[in-house]
Amino acid sequence: MSTVQVEVQGLSKNFFDQSRGEVNAVQQVDFECRRGEILGLLGANGAGKTTTLRMISTVLQPTAGTARVLGHDVASEPVEVRRNLGFYSASTALYPRLTARETLTLFARVNKYPAERTKSRVEETIERFGVGEYAGVRIEKLSSGMKQKVSIARTVVHDPPVLIFDEPTVGLDVLNALDLQKAIQELREDGKAILFSTHIMSEAERLCDRIAIIDKGRIRACDDLEGLRAATSRHYLEDIFVHYVTSNADS
Amino acid sequence: MDWTAVRLLYLSELRSALRERSVLINGILVPLLMYPLMMWVMFSGILFVTARFESFASRVEIAGLPAEHRGILDSLDEDGRTGINEVAAPPAGAASAYREEVEERLLAGELDAALIFKATGDPPGNAAVSLLSNGSSDRSRSARGRLERALSAERSAWLERIAARHGLDGAEWQVFEVRSNNLATGRQMGQFLMGMMIPLFFVIMIANGCLYPAIDSTAGERERNTWETTSTLATRRLNVVTAKYLYVATMGTVAGALNAAAMVVSFRSFLGPLFARLGGGDGGGLAFELPLGALPVLFLTAVLLGALIGAAMMILAAFARTFKEGQSMVTPVILLVVFPVIVLNDPGMAFTPALAGIPVVNVVLLLRQAIAGNVLWLQLGITVLANGAAIVACLWIASRVLRIEEIATGAFEGNFFQFLRRQLRPAGGKA
Repeated sequence: MSTVQVEVQGLSKNFFDQSRGEVNAVQQVDFECRRGEILGLLGANGAGKTTTLRMISTVLQPTAGTARVLGHDVASEPVEVRRNLGFYSASTALYPRLTARETLTLFARVNKYPAERTKSRVEETIERFGVGEYAGVRIEKLSSGMKQKVSIARTVVHDPPVLIFDEPTVGLDVLNALDLQKAIQELREDGKAILFSTHIMSEAERLCDRIAIIDKGRIRACDDLEGLRAATSRHYLEDIFVHYVTSNADS
Repeated sequence: MDWTAVRLLYLSELRSALRERSVLINGILVPLLMYPLMMWVMFSGILFVTARFESFASRVEIAGLPAEHRGILDSLDEDGRTGINEVAAPPAGAASAYREEVEERLLAGELDAALIFKATGDPPGNAAVSLLSNGSSDRSRSARGRLERALSAERSAWLERIAARHGLDGAEWQVFEVRSNNLATGRQMGQFLMGMMIPLFFVIMIANGCLYPAIDSTAGERERNTWETTSTLATRRLNVVTAKYLYVATMGTVAGALNAAAMVVSFRSFLGPLFARLGGGDGGGLAFELPLGALPVLFLTAVLLGALIGAAMMILAAFARTFKEGQSMVTPVILLVVFPVIVLNDPGMAFTPALAGIPVVNVVLLLRQAIAGNVLWLQLGITVLANGAAIVACLWIASRVLRIEEIATGAFEGNFFQFLRRQLRPAGGKA
């Protein structure tokens, strides 16, 4: 029986924008993600995917609503939430002057991985993600593909039960993107609950167990691919996405 | 407070910093090497110029030298570097034409200096002397110096002979015999000079040592996109900010301590010998030694200033979204802390308990007293309390500022003042 690891209810975020004034970036978002599941957030640029994931990872505070990670509230227990979470996005860079090994050790220790097992866990993570050859090299001297591998290793080194990948393949070449997708699938097999945001249909189709279509800060639909097909009478995810986005625009 | 996380983050910041060339240069190499290097250059330069000045061969012309004063020629011959052209006094009608001709030769560089004697007659040997030279030429100035010394020596010898003829000794005909006696020891004089100079450079170096780390650990993180990475660490933001603050304060303290050490060594190794060479007897007695009691005070003041300036810089750097913005926001702090040091750099200023209550000023005065060998315990206590309070206030402000999400994420739009206006506007006033 799969257990709910992430629960999001009525989550909203407003912020001030110089040109647009007060913006409702995320409005009344509800979903949940279970152990061993990849839940995809599919939406166009600016739909509210990143803001939603940043609130769950406690980088931003919700204006309204709640989000819980393993029962810990993001607003009142942010440290517990972060301890149980690994957050990866194209904008979470690595410390350029530390080596890969130093980075992994720092994240394992600060994220409360048991001190006596940190060394073996770091080496195991280095081995698993194929970082060994350059584990002693400063991050600033690595190629973008190498940095991406270290970033994923950094995300999982403290062995969190929940992982967030925010548009992780942006800027990667095809081979690196496929490597990353493979790594995410393996993590699901390890029993992690994974929130995965993307605007690439094929990626969502290949990876996600369920897909939440998000548009203008609202979740328009959330189901597995078969359920979405049945609800819209459309086969391709692209058509399903267009159906929900345009019907929202029409309404 | 999670001190394990603070320690881990602090060490990580330090490790990163020591791999960054700008931090190494500004925080360690400049404070350590700047003053020895500066003083070495100054020392070498002065020695070079002096030696060059003394090595010039002078071409001088002496017109109408009275027979009674041939001793001048002997004085000038002593160093062997003066070529003398002695001529007879020009006839009365041709005196001004001769002078004009000598001036032309001086300006053309054909001659370095000239002495023109005009006998006054009574008593025999008395004369009016014109010493002509060209002040814009090193060679001419050097020649003028030699002629002045020769004239002075001849005058003294002449007066002594006259006095002896009348049965007077030196003490009688000189009327005043001045025996100068400086009651300050060479060590005290050295400490006075160090007390004037060390605090000023000390404050500048500490501020400089804090500057790059303060910007790098805040605005630099945002610019490199590592701020969000740091935000996902499983520790309170307060721990992250504390670690960063301790790192900035450490770099400032280290810069100050290294600078003070380098300064003392430079004073002893370069300035002392330089004073000895330039000042003769008086300067030779200067001793640049720091009293042992000043060392703990020096360390304490480095810590207090590093902690205070670091905290002040971090408040401002917290608003910066890019490294460049950070530089323009934080640099005024350097001027702010250096200004009172320059204004109050009056050696006669007493370190009163009231002054001990003013941050930065109190540290400078405390340091100056310590260098002079005095530790005023009441003022020291007030200084620690006043600076401690200022540091706590700065950290409180910094923690309040970083609670504002737009500042913490560097996401605020428009300029800093527009942002402040929005923050101060009542909630209902927002769009």
